[in-house]
Amino acid sequence: MSATGTCEYQAKDYKSDLKPIWCPGCGDFSVVQGIYRALAAVGRPPHEIAFVSGIGCSSRIPGYTTAYGFNSVHGRALPIAQGIKLANPDLLVLAAGGDGDGFSIGGGHIAHLIRRNMDITYIVMDNQIYGLTKGQLSPTSQKGRITCTSRYGSLEEPVNPLLYVLAYGAGFVAQASPTDLAGMASTIEAAIRYPGFAFVNIQSPCVTYGEEAQQIKGLKAISETLDSLGHNPADRLAAMDLAQQYGEKLHLGVFYRNPEPPPTYGDLVKERQAALSKDALPKERILDLFIKK
Amino acid sequence: MRKDLVFGMAGSGGDGIVSAGDSLLQAAAAEGYHGVMTKSFGSQIRGGESSCRVRISTSPILNPGGNLDVAVALNWEDFLKFGAELPVSGNTVVIYEAATNIPVDQIPLVGVTPLQVIAVPIAAMAKETAGTERAKNTVVLGLIAGWFGIGAVAVMKGIRKKLAKKGEELVEANQRAFDAGRAFAMEHPLKVSMAIEPSETKGQVKLITDGNDMCAAAAIFAGCQFFGGYPITPSTEIMQFFTDQVWKYGGAVLQAEDEIAGIGAAVGASFAGKKSMTATSGPGLSLKSEMMGLASIAELPLVIVDVQRGGPSTGLPTKTEQSDLFAAAFSAHGDVIRPVLAPTSVADMFRITVEAFNIAEYYQTPVIVLSDQEIAARKETLDPIDTSQFKIVDRLRPTATDLQDYRRFKQTENHISPISHPGMLGGTYLASGIEHVESGAPTNSGSVHARMNDKRTKKFDPLKERRDLFEVLGNPDAPIAMVAWGSVAGVCREALAMAQAKGLDVKLLVPYLLYPVAEGIYNDFFRSVQKGLVIEQTHLAQTFKLLRMHLDLPKGVKPLARSGANPFLPGEIVAALQNLLAELQRSHEGNLQPQE
Repeated sequence: MSATGTCEYQAKDYKSDLKPIWCPGCGDFSVVQGIYRALAAVGRPPHEIAFVSGIGCSSRIPGYTTAYGFNSVHGRALPIAQGIKLANPDLLVLAAGGDGDGFSIGGGHIAHLIRRNMDITYIVMDNQIYGLTKGQLSPTSQKGRITCTSRYGSLEEPVNPLLYVLAYGAGFVAQASPTDLAGMASTIEAAIRYPGFAFVNIQSPCVTYGEEAQQIKGLKAISETLDSLGHNPADRLAAMDLAQQYGEKLHLGVFYRNPEPPPTYGDLVKERQAALSKDALPKERILDLFIKK
Repeated sequence: MRKDLVFGMAGSGGDGIVSAGDSLLQAAAAEGYHGVMTKSFGSQIRGGESSCRVRISTSPILNPGGNLDVAVALNWEDFLKFGAELPVSGNTVVIYEAATNIPVDQIPLVGVTPLQVIAVPIAAMAKETAGTERAKNTVVLGLIAGWFGIGAVAVMKGIRKKLAKKGEELVEANQRAFDAGRAFAMEHPLKVSMAIEPSETKGQVKLITDGNDMCAAAAIFAGCQFFGGYPITPSTEIMQFFTDQVWKYGGAVLQAEDEIAGIGAAVGASFAGKKSMTATSGPGLSLKSEMMGLASIAELPLVIVDVQRGGPSTGLPTKTEQSDLFAAAFSAHGDVIRPVLAPTSVADMFRITVEAFNIAEYYQTPVIVLSDQEIAARKETLDPIDTSQFKIVDRLRPTATDLQDYRRFKQTENHISPISHPGMLGGTYLASGIEHVESGAPTNSGSVHARMNDKRTKKFDPLKERRDLFEVLGNPDAPIAMVAWGSVAGVCREALAMAQAKGLDVKLLVPYLLYPVAEGIYNDFFRSVQKGLVIEQTHLAQTFKLLRMHLDLPKGVKPLARSGANPFLPGEIVAALQNLLAELQRSHEGNLQPQE
């Protein structure tokens, strides 16, 4: 078994024994299936994978895999994932969570992860609602949406997750949905394989608090693959153009993939460590730095 | 001749007064003296008032000293801003800038007649000899060499080294300024000589550093390979040291986007199997609370350094205080024990930081090192530390047998479970902030929750028996006692020696472990005590209250507590102890003749 994944794995090898707490029909069931398939395709053994999440329905997801999981605190999956990656750059690091976790309480972190270009794949299960706390307005809820915390309709514009990450310069940006499980699995696989930060927004319907239009049937009605539109994923401006239709159209596939991925943060760290290691005083002599002669 | 001298110097930001203090300290170390230097500033970035205290002694120094022996004021406005930080007494020689045009009998120090007051045309001498007033601080160093016998050779040797790259001309200009200062002192001898005795340890190797750098160096020695943090005064130098050094050891630093991300990354690195840390000050500690709770329930080793400053909120960002004690012990919700350690000096910062990593690793817990601005920023001369005497502890890793049926939170006799990390075959588990069963799987069960709370708190019981994390000084059976921690402990050590010299039967307890409260050790200490003081730089007497929460203190034990930035002086503590003795004697007399 090596870091290049020469061992053969199947989707079931990544499925844990824990029974999901999700409502029957929840889109996240498909997402976790997609992740199993993507991981099997990539072929890294489960113990070389660290899967981090925050809090929310979708943030339970690491526990449903056989990887090392970390179901942390609300909004903070990304800082923890970065610490893991820096501590051990050889691990495959995944982060996941909901739209509230990623774009509301933890919204400040994603820009900085993008800036650092660490080789981490971030999967957001975007359902435009807070499900775990039973149906409040989320950062991606449409303006005018009526929820238990917006009885007279939301007065706020939603965040556009796709534009958000594209604008900050993410090297890989894609969208998927349970309407196309095979497509979702291959999109996640491509994200994992991208050498650098990769973002996948997944429109994952909330069957309990979601609106009619956001259920599978509604999503199917507005979905089209970026391939079918002839979109060139190397074209960032075209990607941003298409991303503006978030909320109206459901574009599936890769919006943007940097054709010339720059070195990752991990690469640069390794370089620096190698360059400086010769200057290290033995640890037991580190106080010699304070000698005044 | 003197064995000990305390200098206090103040000027405005550009006067180079702190740099003069640095030169003086280094020269003193080169001449074999012990020295401590503290700095204090206004919160302006540039300009504004700045000051330093330098204490130099022929024997090891316990604290930055009380009243000044020598006060140097480059202007009075700035000097006076430091108030009690630069206390002048009847035994102080005051040296000030003649260009202030204030006659020696009219200097603006109220209610005190210094031993001697001397106006020196410092700026004029700098201009005349070096061609610029910027050499004022070098003139001051010359004056000090002339009057007090420190650094006649070593000061210029240091300056020469520092300025070597800037050219011989500048070095020569400084030499002339220094010589002029020294000549002025020779021509105007003090009424009472205050020259210091030569040191007997001249030529021995000395280290000079401050608490923040010492903390970071100790962390690297202890095996720390990751630092995640966010700049905040007065802790930032810890991160700076890491960015200079840790890459060399295969480690990494993340200057994060905020305090939460900083500790989050450190939690992640620990989960990934590396020793990791963060450092902050009060406002950052408040922000990090939730993550500290996460590290407690996920049982992940982590060291958090809190360099205290005046609070709440922004408070006094550049001044010292001990008021984060409650926050350190109690912040984060839920039933949590999180060990809190406190160094008392730059020298013991090394031991305490190594100990913090050892405790974090052994007990799989976040540990707070509660430093303070004074220790963080003060420079001390130190004798070399023999690092080979320090044991380094690593977390308990699972054995091959453990991994056959791995349960991350397995109940064990000492409540400590072997911990795996990503990359370890057979060790996969779910770490979580949610309550979990032994395997790590989430649960809502009240009985599991109670059992796990038990595991996570009982595991610390042995820590409360660690007598080596406490120091008792003085007669162990004394009826009068002091308790003090952090930088205040140094003042109390000196007060103890002074009180003993006056014949008082006193003892001092210095806890390095503040939390969990080691009831047994305190009870033993207080057994002989009838009167005592818990001495601390908090307004609310937090230490006193923390002890009262856990034990029945003798009735005669009271807090001596005050807000930060107002240092305790050894003399006032001795006076307070004498009052306690008087009360004790009165109450004994009262016992003979009962009164209303």
